Amino acid sequence: MTDLLTIDYLRDYLLVGAALFALGMLGFLSRRNLIVMFLSAEMMLQGTALSLVALSRYHGNWNGQIFTIVILTVAASEAAIALALIMVLYNRRSSLDITLWRELREEAAPDVVPAIEEAAAAELIDATAGPETYPKLTPAGLEPEHPIQPWTERRR
Amino acid sequence: MAGFFVQWVWLIPFFPLLGGIIAAVGASRFRFNAAIPVAVGIGASFLFSLGAWASAGPETTIVVSKWLAAGSFQVPIELRVDGLSTLMLSMVTFVSTLVVIFASGYMAGDPSYPRFFAFIGLFVFSMTGLVLSNNFLLTYAFWEGVGVCSYLLIGFWYARKSAADAAMKAFLVNRLGDIGFAIAIFWLWTIVPNHDLSYTNVLADETLRNFPDSARIGIPLLLFWAATAKSAQLPLYVWLPDAMEGPTPVSALIHAATMVTAGVYLIARSTAMIALAPGVQVLICVVGCATALLAAAIALTQNDLKRVMAYSTVSQLGYMFMALGAGVGNLAQLAVVASIFHLFTHAFFKALLFLASGSVMHSMGDVIDMRRFGGLRRRLPHTCWTFAIGGLALAGIFPMAGFFSKDEILLALAAAPEAAETMGLSWGWVYGLVYWVAILTAFMTAFYTGRAFFMTFWGPEKLPSPDDPEAMEGEGHAAEGDEPGHGHHHVGEESPPIMTIPLMILAGCAVLAGVVFGPTGWIEHHLQRMFGFEGLGHAEHQFGWGTPVLGLVVGLAGIGLSYLLYGEPNPAPARIAAAVRPLYLASLNKFYVDEIYQWTVMKLLWVSAAVLRFLDVEFVERAIVGIATAPRAIGRNALAVYQNGLIQFYAAATAASVAILLWLLLFS
Repeated sequence: MTDLLTIDYLRDYLLVGAALFALGMLGFLSRRNLIVMFLSAEMMLQGTALSLVALSRYHGNWNGQIFTIVILTVAASEAAIALALIMVLYNRRSSLDITLWRELREEAAPDVVPAIEEAAAAELIDATAGPETYPKLTPAGLEPEHPIQPWTERRR
Repeated sequence: MAGFFVQWVWLIPFFPLLGGIIAAVGASRFRFNAAIPVAVGIGASFLFSLGAWASAGPETTIVVSKWLAAGSFQVPIELRVDGLSTLMLSMVTFVSTLVVIFASGYMAGDPSYPRFFAFIGLFVFSMTGLVLSNNFLLTYAFWEGVGVCSYLLIGFWYARKSAADAAMKAFLVNRLGDIGFAIAIFWLWTIVPNHDLSYTNVLADETLRNFPDSARIGIPLLLFWAATAKSAQLPLYVWLPDAMEGPTPVSALIHAATMVTAGVYLIARSTAMIALAPGVQVLICVVGCATALLAAAIALTQNDLKRVMAYSTVSQLGYMFMALGAGVGNLAQLAVVASIFHLFTHAFFKALLFLASGSVMHSMGDVIDMRRFGGLRRRLPHTCWTFAIGGLALAGIFPMAGFFSKDEILLALAAAPEAAETMGLSWGWVYGLVYWVAILTAFMTAFYTGRAFFMTFWGPEKLPSPDDPEAMEGEGHAAEGDEPGHGHHHVGEESPPIMTIPLMILAGCAVLAGVVFGPTGWIEHHLQRMFGFEGLGHAEHQFGWGTPVLGLVVGLAGIGLSYLLYGEPNPAPARIAAAVRPLYLASLNKFYVDEIYQWTVMKLLWVSAAVLRFLDVEFVERAIVGIATAPRAIGRNALAVYQNGLIQFYAAATAASVAILLWLLLFS
């Protein structure tokens, strides 16, 4: 079998993979929105997976492919859990700002971001006030009945 | 068939251990009598011991398995089946079997019944292992094992403070002696060829010839030091009388018949080495003599029946050491035979006396103070006559066992001055002195034995009642009612047959053991098969009528005097005590040995402990605490700022670190 994936092609793949990884890392380090950070982390993961696939193809064995399947599986599970956690966090503070969650810092640590402190000092959302709001979906067919969720359970 | 018992000799320690484990694990769960597996196990060991007795040979050893191996230093589990070890084995397992049977009645109703028998099984395992092992190190391991069992059993009723204290005292005093044994082993290790600590190697003629002079004196001294602790000799005997806090079967088995003879066994086993140091031998003899005399003098006035027996044990062990010490020159064989013979007969009659005391105690509702009961010969007929036989044997009255063995010892002592002179030693006269002190001690022994017997069984009948003037608090063993004692039955009744039958069997042994083994020369013949026995100095057994007759006369005189004074209620003893009041008080208070130790050794220890505590708290602890504050200070002052709770900071730090690491790996 003639190997179509020569070293030149491999370089392109690796460059794209590295770019994905670097962009993801930049996003993770610079954005404060939890979901965007999460997406960035996924991007880093995909950069890695792309490199693995390319190298696997180049070397003509299946190791990298198998590894990538495993990575995809793990990433899917991680996404499920992480998004659920993000939902819970949003319900606690009505915000996805990562800097609001700093309980585990040392008391002696100086404030890196002064504005954060004000946000953190703000009162927690009054749990009982007003009706719940949910992200709106584009209406398509009948809206399903919302089952009782854990957080609504907690609010009652 | 002979090879069979040698091949399987390891079963002798194994059976009691197995029985003990079964008793410990199963008895409370499956509700069977914990005494049964232990008794069966020890009984099986006894049968095997008899087989081993028949197949004993001076050079018969068997390697059971590997034990320790460090380079060329090898300590296998090697057992020696020779005359001495089989004799000890048979005696230990026989007495143990009877004591277990007795205890199954005596301890009935005790909440910790299975624990007791589990410990007994463990003890018999250790003791048989001790006498079987063919290696100083293995002997030492079992030596510690019996010490632990002794501790556990003295403190069996650990809720009682006196018992817990006595256990602690026994253990600590024994540790003091064990240090000597340990140093002796270290020393031997440095000088014997191949670092081989087996008796075969250490006690070989060639090895002993090549000993440096310091070791020739020092190692026997250290071994004797170890023996003084285990066998309760003069500087370290103080634990044994207190050990009577344990249950009476334990006192009979461990602190009279078996464990305390381990020291005698060790010295007898090493006789080939000790015979090379006549100076140490005379020391052993003098220490044994002094102990015998002192303990007998204390026993004269004790009111606690068990304590009389305890001091009598110390005294009789002193006799055994006297005999061992008398083995100068060509008397070595005779001395070993006399000592081991006395050990052998003593095990029977002392176990008998203790068990009979236990029977009395059982009947009197745990009262053991002889002033509080009396005239029990009609109420406790079996206990009475078995005690009488044991007492006669202890007093050395013909034809009981003690007569023959004590006679052997006195003969060895009588012959010692001459043997010492032939050796060119200048201290032969010491042995002459020791001989007369031994005779005096024999008289005292007969007297206090008779006193104990007449106070307990003779005179008008009297049962313990709580309003006795002597029923003081802290006096006696178990006067209080609510303590964890063994089961009570009706006060004043004879003990059940399960307790009296072992007494009768032991009484039979106390009568016969002397006659059968002594004059027939059986014991000597058997000890011919002891390792290294042939190499010991040998002299013709010179029999004279003088010593046995003298021994018999002083024994009878002692008993007669005790009958005169204590046979009937009599003001004479009190008048005599008043006449020599300081002496009487000194004897009653055990010559203040405990108090002297308290004010010298213990004070010294306390002072050094206080000094060490000061050093520890002020220097060691300060230093350690100081070192421990450093990481905390660094963390708080320098590193805390980086713990700022921002995930992205952490991620950036991680990424930077990985980048630096990659850089280093790839480009350096």
